[in-house]
Formats: sequence, structure tokens, C-alpha cells
Amino acid sequence: MRTNYQVNSGVRFRMLSDDQLQELFEGVLHVLENTGLEVHHEESREILKDAGAWVDGKRVRVPSWLVKESLRKAPRSFTLYARDGNREHNIHIGPGRAHFGPGPTCPNFIDVETLERRPYVKDDVSKVARVVDALPNIDFCESLGSVDDVHADLSALYEFAHMFPNTSKPIVAWSFDKYDSEGIHKIAVAEAGGQEAFEQRPNYVHYCEPLSPLVSTFEALDKLVFAARKRIPLVFTPCPIAGGTAPITPAGIITQGVAESWMGLTIAQAIQPGLPFIMGGVFSVMDMNAMILAYGAPELPLMMAGLTELAHYAGLPLWQTGGCTDSKTFDEQALIEGSMSVYFSALTGGDLCHDVGYTESAMTGSVFQLAAMDEAIGYARRITRGIEVNEDTLAASVINDVGPNGHYLREQHTRRYYKNEFWYPNLCDRRNYEEWDMMGRKTMKDRTIARVRDILASHEPAPLKEGTGELIQEVLEEAEDRVEQDWWQDREIAD
Amino acid sequence: MSTIYEKLATTVLEGNSDKVPGLIQKGLDEGKTAKELLDNGLVVGMDEVGVRFKRGDMFVPEVLMSAEAMKAGMDPLRPLLAEAEEEMLGTIVLGTVEGDLHDIGKNLVAMMCEGAGFDVVNIGFDKPPEAFIDAIKEHQPDIVGMSALLTTTMRAMGHTIKAIEEAGLRDQVKIMVGGAPVDAEFADRIGADGYGSNAPSASDLAKEFVGAA
Repeated sequence: MRTNYQVNSGVRFRMLSDDQLQELFEGVLHVLENTGLEVHHEESREILKDAGAWVDGKRVRVPSWLVKESLRKAPRSFTLYARDGNREHNIHIGPGRAHFGPGPTCPNFIDVETLERRPYVKDDVSKVARVVDALPNIDFCESLGSVDDVHADLSALYEFAHMFPNTSKPIVAWSFDKYDSEGIHKIAVAEAGGQEAFEQRPNYVHYCEPLSPLVSTFEALDKLVFAARKRIPLVFTPCPIAGGTAPITPAGIITQGVAESWMGLTIAQAIQPGLPFIMGGVFSVMDMNAMILAYGAPELPLMMAGLTELAHYAGLPLWQTGGCTDSKTFDEQALIEGSMSVYFSALTGGDLCHDVGYTESAMTGSVFQLAAMDEAIGYARRITRGIEVNEDTLAASVINDVGPNGHYLREQHTRRYYKNEFWYPNLCDRRNYEEWDMMGRKTMKDRTIARVRDILASHEPAPLKEGTGELIQEVLEEAEDRVEQDWWQDREIAD
Repeated sequence: MSTIYEKLATTVLEGNSDKVPGLIQKGLDEGKTAKELLDNGLVVGMDEVGVRFKRGDMFVPEVLMSAEAMKAGMDPLRPLLAEAEEEMLGTIVLGTVEGDLHDIGKNLVAMMCEGAGFDVVNIGFDKPPEAFIDAIKEHQPDIVGMSALLTTTMRAMGHTIKAIEEAGLRDQVKIMVGGAPVDAEFADRIGADGYGSNAPSASDLAKEFVGAA
């Protein structure tokens, strides 16, 4: 019987002290209370005013008690459900759990057959979703691109309509506006078995992105209000760029970016108390030479680690970022940048780590980068799982039984543990030189391409429920009719 | 309804040593010969183990479980095979060469070769050339396997082969070598007939030598 005994069940990582986190936390409250944000959405300003915020034209300042109350209402732990009831595909968000998935909206894609960079098309969506469905360490789905070969206003809807049948892993659904969001929600609710069933077992997450510095845009809030009313778990993810649209210091960008996120939180919790709210986003540097938002910079995982710690300190899950690169191709740079950031992300336990598979600084999605990162995530997960210490694992009796110059390969102990204690690579090669030579001297790149093509040739995702496929067609046809009629002329664009 | 052969093969593949002797007895009761049970049951299972191991679908601890299951089947069959004057696959003399105290890798090779149906004479570790020569004279093996784990002791394999040549025994045996620092090129240089990079490939090589692969 153990007593007064502490267990670390994984690798412990912590960067900021409680004092530093409290200082950052107070800094965010200070910005929200004293500087405030521009809120380009009249209804949201009214909601904020009713909740106790100070509204001055478009500028809204939020008293710290209201932010704290909103934080108190938002859950730290909840579950996202596989549409087909496959428990292995559920995502349990909570302390000490890191999950990974691709990002949205790259304009380009690396063609799976030709390996050339070209605009992202409708057909790519189902490919990405099927690869996501098959990869063991990819937990949620985004599409890695914006569909270029449909009506521009419908690309988000087509994206969801093609992801949903091709993976049963939870989807994080990006959209242009609430019209897309309505179509997406209709599909997800039909599969879930109605609005109430969806609320109990949400099968997708709604994604909104405000503007830095300090602007809550009309579209972001219009979507947020829609999601909150329908009780759709929400990612609210600013993308501040240090030195450009945010202070250049990591503490400064975190303070500003979190203030942007928590404006969304305050509105969401005022509409729907207890709405699962996943705080964003992508925090990195503006490269002062190339003038890009650097997705492969070491400051990205560093800032994201600080952001994760502050989110967890405040009791919120985080929309982490990693597995992405500034490289234009599948090369050493891509794998170094991607692997380092997924490993660091895994260490922080950031809850949903997205943008896995981004290349060329988010300009080009690559399912090959995604598949290679699946391997890096597996590797990282073995490390973060840590070392289990107990009487059985420290194996004194087995050591005694085997004795000097014996071996452990035949021991029951070995047989009991070798599958769980060791991580087995899917892509990394450990064969000896001669076998490697005999098998055609394949590189990591060769093996990754082969794996992706093999998945696409053989993997079958779980089918949709009866009727959902037809409903998806109806939703798309309705949307096509709408854009035909120049429906957008009647859109509310007043803010 | 699967046949006794299929059951034996599956049981070997699953590495279930406890179940094998009972199945062998059942097969004998059904009137199958020892040779038939070996060739159509046990060996079929072990062949599939080899295929899966090479494909990366089976791991060494599982392969050893299968080898043990094979051995559990061989124990009751061996006297019957001898009685019926059936030939075993062949005999292998195995040892770790002089100056090297490493025992484990060579023992794994022994297990795998036994599992494949060979008679294995394991002469131990730190064995000088004379010990190999004596064992060849005594057991008349088809194959001699030698192992070294250290770059400092691998040369002793060359010396041992030379001593076997000088004793006039080189032509009556095939020689296979192995161990972590050894590769095919080294094996060739010291005059061995082949090299196995791990225990399952050593048993494959042995089967090739006797024309059973």
C-alpha cells in the first residue's frame, strides 16, 4: 500500500510560473477593461451592454468581473463525438490531453498524383478527409484548403459537405458567414438525429476568426452568435503577428491576442452559458525580411506554449498550432519545423493542435506533410506518455529470474509490455543497410507518398446514416440557387 | 471445420505452446504420420510466421512464441520421426567465437532454427576453433553457425573458418555467420557461405543451405 506518494504519469513541462501567469492574466483584464475592442456587430454590442460592458460607439470595454464570470461559465472539459458512434474517434477535451488535426483555407494544394503545387479543388477535400480518417494520430478534420472550383461564396459549404462523408472524426468547420454555417449545421444535425441530440453529442466545432489588433469583425461575430444560439462548440481564434499586428514581445502578443479571444468568450457565454469555447489561435512572428507570418519559426511553438499555459490557468481549452512549415516542399526544413512544433505542442497539452500539414507559410496544404507529421506526433506521444513506475514495471523479479547473460525476449514480462511500452514507426526506417538497399533505398519522402496513396486506394470511412447523403445534396442545391439569385445583395452588411 | 493441419499451423502462428502437444496427439490418433503433421501443420505455421515477420506484421517476441510452439510439437514427433527413419531438415552446430562472451543472439538463432525443424547443437560462447572442429567431427552437421557481437572479436570468426579449412572439414559444412557488427561483405571476406542479419533470417539462410527454402 502506497502512502504520501506522488505520480507523474507523463512528461512534465511548464514554462511560466503562477506569478507570471497571474501577471499575464491581469494584463489581459486590464486591456479589455481600459482599451477595449472595436466590435463591428450591433447585436453583439447590445448583448455586451446588457451583460454589463461599457459601449462607446463601436468601442466596447469589458469590466474584469464580467470576463471572470464568462470564464467561470465556460467548461474546461467536454467531448466531441464521432458522427458514427466510433468511440475511438471521439475527442475528450480536458487536462493533459493533446489532440491534432489539419488547418483550413490554404489556396494551394500539393497534388497527390503529380506532386505539383496547384489551386485547391473540390476533389481534394475528400482525399484529405479520408487520409485524416485513416491516420492514427490525427484526431480531428479540417480540409487543408479553400475550394477553388466552385462558386466563391460556397467553398466553405462544399468543403464541409465533402469532409463529412469521408471521415467520422470530429470536424472543425470554417465558414465565410452565417449562411454557410446554417447549411453546415443542417447537415451535422441531421446526422446527429436532431438539434437536441446534437447538443448532447456535438459532432463538429464551429470556427471563427476575429481580426488583430483588437477588432471583432462583423462576420466573426455573426457566426459566433449563430453558433452560440445553436450550442455548437466554438473555436475563436485570432491570428496576431508579432511586430506587425501585435506587440513584438511574446508576453505582449499573448496579452493582446487573449483579449481578442475573450471578447468572443464574453459574448458567447452571455448568449449561451456553458458553451464549449476553445480559445485561439495562431501566434507567431512577422519575418522582418520575408514579411510573412512565419509558420516554422521557433517563436510560434514558444508563444503557443505560453498561450496554452495561460488558457489552462484561466480554465479554457486551447486551439494549439503545430506541424506546419514555411518550406515550399517536402524537405528537411519541413520535417524539422513540423516535428519540433508538434513535439512542443504535445508537451504543453494544448487541447486541439491545428495546422498540421500546412506548408509554404499556410499558402499550400500538403497531405504528405500531414502524414509525415502523423509519424512525428506518434513519436512525441510516446515521449509525453512518460515512464510508469510500479512493482511490475521495475521488474526486480524478472531481473532476478533472467540473471547474468540471460535474455528477456522470452519473458512473459516482455510479451506483456512490448506492444505498449515501445512505439513502432510507420514511416521511419530501422532496417539494416542491406534490407534497405534491397527494398529500393526508399527515403522518408518515398515512404510517405506511398503511405498516402495506399490509404487513398484502400481506406473506407464509416458510411453516413441513411438520408444524410441526400440531405447534403439538397443543402448544396439550395445554396447554389441562392448564389444564382444574387442573394448577397440582401445580406445584412451593416455593422 | 478446419483440418488438424490447419489447426496446428494456426496454433503455431498464435504461439500457443500449451495447445500443440494435444493437437499432435489428436493428429496421430486420426492416423496421420509424424512426417505429415510436421510438413503440413507445424512447418506451414512457421513459414507464415516468417512471411509476417518480414512484412513487419509480427515482432520478435511473437516469433519466439511461435518457435516455442513449434518446438512443443517437435518434442513428441522427434522419436516417431527417428523410428520412421525420416530425415530432419539437418543438423546445425552453433557457437559464439573465442574471446566473445555474448550468448543471447546465438541462442535466438538456435531457437529459430529448431523451430524451423533443424537439430541444433549449441556449443556455447567463447569457443576456440578447436571446439568447433571437435563438434563438426562429433555431430557431422550440415551447417556451422558462428556469432560475434564485438568488432574486436569478429575477426575470430575468420580464424575459426581458417582452422576448419586446415582441419580438412570445410567442404563438408556450410558456414553462416552473424552478430551486430557483421554484414554480408564481411562474411564474404572471411570465407563464410552466408550471413543472417537477425535470428529469423539466419533460419531462412539455414533452410536455403539445405535446399528447404
